[in-house]
Amino acid sequence: MAIGSVLDPTALRADDITSPGPEAGPLAGKTVGFRLDEIWRAWDWMAEIWGEEFRKAGAEVKMWRSHQGRTGAAGERVAAELDAFLESIDIAVVGLANCGSCTGWTVRDALAAAEKGLPTTAVCTEVFEELAHNLARRGGRSGLRLHVLPYPLNEKEHDEVAAVARAHFDGLLDAMGVGAAALKEAAV
Amino acid sequence: MSRSISQGAVKQEKVVNLRDCGPEGCDIDWLSSQKHEVEVDDVMAFTEEATARGWGDGLPLIPPTEARVRQFLSKNNRYADEVICTLPPADGECTVEKIAINAVMAGASAESLPLLIAALEAMGDPDFELFGLNTTTAPVLPLTVVNGPVRERLDIPYRHGCLGGARTQAVAIGRALRLVIRNVAGQEANVTSQTTFGSPGRIGGILFGEWEERSPWAPFAERRGVQGDAVSVYGTMGTMNIIDTTSTRGPEFLEMIGKSLGYPGANGYSPAMPFAEMMVAINPVWAEIIHRDVPSLEDVQEIIWTNTGIDADRLLPKHREQLEAQDRIIGGRAYVSVEPKDVLIVCCGGTGGLHATGFHSFGSCITQTRAIVPGPQEG
Repeated sequence: MAIGSVLDPTALRADDITSPGPEAGPLAGKTVGFRLDEIWRAWDWMAEIWGEEFRKAGAEVKMWRSHQGRTGAAGERVAAELDAFLESIDIAVVGLANCGSCTGWTVRDALAAAEKGLPTTAVCTEVFEELAHNLARRGGRSGLRLHVLPYPLNEKEHDEVAAVARAHFDGLLDAMGVGAAALKEAAV
Repeated sequence: MSRSISQGAVKQEKVVNLRDCGPEGCDIDWLSSQKHEVEVDDVMAFTEEATARGWGDGLPLIPPTEARVRQFLSKNNRYADEVICTLPPADGECTVEKIAINAVMAGASAESLPLLIAALEAMGDPDFELFGLNTTTAPVLPLTVVNGPVRERLDIPYRHGCLGGARTQAVAIGRALRLVIRNVAGQEANVTSQTTFGSPGRIGGILFGEWEERSPWAPFAERRGVQGDAVSVYGTMGTMNIIDTTSTRGPEFLEMIGKSLGYPGANGYSPAMPFAEMMVAINPVWAEIIHRDVPSLEDVQEIIWTNTGIDADRLLPKHREQLEAQDRIIGGRAYVSVEPKDVLIVCCGGTGGLHATGFHSFGSCITQTRAIVPGPQEG
């Protein structure tokens, strides 16, 4: 047995932002942006339901649909659209992390929003929660706000998804740093 | 090659060659990786340790001692700290040193470094979309096609058993690429990768050459603008065999290939993927017949592509509706790629013929080709 030194083969980044970033705070007068995708119709339904609640609280709601194509000319167009979208909102809700690559792009887009200083919450289903945390950590921001939904989700019918949206709305507010009480007061 | 080197308070220009810096070390320590004290004489003990640290794939690993890594680098005139690319999802800096360490662990030869560098540079191109490829639930991995005389120098297989099973140490080159993806890109199943099943190719990679001497078409890389020694990387879901013991004419072989490639569960037909490429490996026997009967490669691509068409009525209604919304139903049919030009043809395999191999793509990855460039000459 001979002990000697070997060189580390890994190159993982060491820097990390553990803070969740700014809270969304009161919503009245702010623009909440939902990042949608082209795959999960359940996420469209949830965004519509949650968006309506935000409108009742005095917020403006914007939706932007990401394209799965992130390469070539299409990729450049998507990147430009994302940048313009983030410039036009005050709060970002980014989803849906419900598969491997879409968790990757959800987290990456959420990190882009957080880098701009926006209160940012990524939304995932529970199967992909650990992946989302790991990717956020490897992206240098382990503190990224994350809201977790049950899985499976996209396989449900509209009424079932609506029930999930209602059941998880307070949790979303907590993750965003809104405060459910403040929202209800604003809605009255 | 020259570089400004700081030595204490004195800054001087010096011509540096890593050949000056052999296994025994040198005055300037170019190696910056963290050092770990481990068992280095016993491969199995080291493999156990390395596996526990998350460095390995489960197969035996050669301890990347300083001496071994320096010896590897001493045969290549490259700066160890040169950053070739960053590799997602970890966005780790892929330096020459990290490539060398992983290549030593895999058992790859020092002579393979220029190929490894070219392949990783290609994978690091944003248009290759390694981020999605490495994190997805799919079993996808980068396939590497090698062109040029380097095939012989590195014993890259391109004939019988070229996709696996051929007797060659080049299999370690594919494994080295996989270890870099694990250790530098940070891909790990159920940590950063949600791959549902994975793939045998995620251990040793899929790396093969094109049989240019038997191919009726220009070398694959040359068709993509790079002559001579080159690599092309392509995001594949794996290999799919196509047998044909009855066809005798070129169009018949192409029809058989195209029809075999078309099935609704392939990523090319998925509404989740915006587009796809479709690589097909054709054996040299069929290639000769096909070229005799269908001289134009564009026509070859067109015939294959046309035959990948699936009647939209065969698709489940929700599937069809999503594709229709994306304007991907053409004349009542769905195709494996948006255009015939995205059917990529390579010639390789044994002279027994009878089989083609389809490599369905992940989609969204755009194939990248790079020249294999040796390091600068000494002096």
